[in-house]
Amino acid sequence: MSRISDNQTGAEKNSFRKEWKFSEIIAEPGVRERWEKVRKYFFLRESTYDMSNRCNIRCEGCYYYEGDKQFAAENKNPDDWRKLMQAEKARGITYIVLAGAEPSLVPDLCRICFEEFPLGSIATNGLKAIPRDINFKIHISVWGNDDTSARVRSAKNMLVRQVENYSGDPRAVFVYTFTRNNIDQVHDVAGILAEYDCKLTFNVFSAPLGYRGALRHTTQSLGGTRKAMIDLLRAYPENVLFSHYNAVAHTHRKGLHDLYACSYPRRNASTTIGLGRSFRQYRTDLNWDRNVACCVPDTDCDDCRHYAAGSAVVTARMFRHAGDPEAFKAWLDYVDTYLAVWVMGYQKGANLSDYMVAPPGNEIF
Amino acid sequence: MSMKTNIEGIIRHVARVMIDELKLEDITPEAFDPDIDLVDEIGIDSMDLATVALVLRDHYAIRIDEDDYPKLTNVRLIAEYIDQKLSEKTVAAAN
Repeated sequence: MSRISDNQTGAEKNSFRKEWKFSEIIAEPGVRERWEKVRKYFFLRESTYDMSNRCNIRCEGCYYYEGDKQFAAENKNPDDWRKLMQAEKARGITYIVLAGAEPSLVPDLCRICFEEFPLGSIATNGLKAIPRDINFKIHISVWGNDDTSARVRSAKNMLVRQVENYSGDPRAVFVYTFTRNNIDQVHDVAGILAEYDCKLTFNVFSAPLGYRGALRHTTQSLGGTRKAMIDLLRAYPENVLFSHYNAVAHTHRKGLHDLYACSYPRRNASTTIGLGRSFRQYRTDLNWDRNVACCVPDTDCDDCRHYAAGSAVVTARMFRHAGDPEAFKAWLDYVDTYLAVWVMGYQKGANLSDYMVAPPGNEIF
Repeated sequence: MSMKTNIEGIIRHVARVMIDELKLEDITPEAFDPDIDLVDEIGIDSMDLATVALVLRDHYAIRIDEDDYPKLTNVRLIAEYIDQKLSEKTVAAAN
């Protein structure tokens, strides 16, 4: 296992060759407590649901308006949604993600889902407030400063409106998506969000299939993104929900599938256990297709660095991180972050690792 | 020790680890049906299985491949997997 501190060069990497027992790894003070804290949530089994085929803005590179799912007819029948939620519960789903195209446009359907599931989250652009009684985590997408949002999302004063709707809301996590062109803007955005005491986490633009636009990352922009992530983690520790290992995993030159072998059905033929068995991605007509089922359908898998994908894919690879203390601490930080971002009431602890640790079997960059 | 006895001992130990790590209630290792499907009938998921695998890896000092998880669908299959790994280790040590 190799690791590198913020101030080290690649040549100064340390290597750890001892074969560790898991019991030795979790014997370290702080590690066992974090392990016991996160393992309580191993019962989470997710599926995702497109709530409508409408959105109040149109963003360049939006995953929803790629592929066939955008043409699914909306099912607006509350009874059908309630029956679906009950059936999902019956087959073992314990966590739901309401996404596509814009769930805030159908609050009554979101409420039905919440009434059936205590745990879940909603992905929204944040321009229309979701009623407070729907007590899911709310992920508000930010794609740069307001000039950039006006250009790539055709929405004016976006951050101001998002903050107005969600400042002081314990459900809210702002999700800043780094593209090739908005890396430097994150500092101003994070400053504003910190001023309003908002929580912030990071996503990395992952090109939809066939996307040829200017938002796609390069090796250079991934490096710049990683630096910005770490800088902000230091600058706003109370606001930024992230870790060094999150930064490594999501800005590596290899995508998540190459690094961790994606476990969503689209890339995983096994139906025996895990996500390959339980995960479904329902379109707004309440149908699903195993062949395209993943957390962000129609993403180019080779370019996938989505925060949502990593939350499942990196977490699922616990075993391969459990052969080395530094790797396991990094994995615990990742899972602690993921739970704080996705689960209402979960409080993130201080990161256990201040190092950049390489994904098992890979280099750091 | 006969091969059957060895497997039975591993089965009981695997069952004990399952019960302890996954906090299964109202069951003892002796009463644990080794052929019951862990996923379908007990509701074990991949993270549960990974947790159990880590404890078993420590105890038996064997390598457990993540890719083998889908094969390990009941306690008997896990015990046979361990037994095979132990045999391979013995052979490797003898050579």
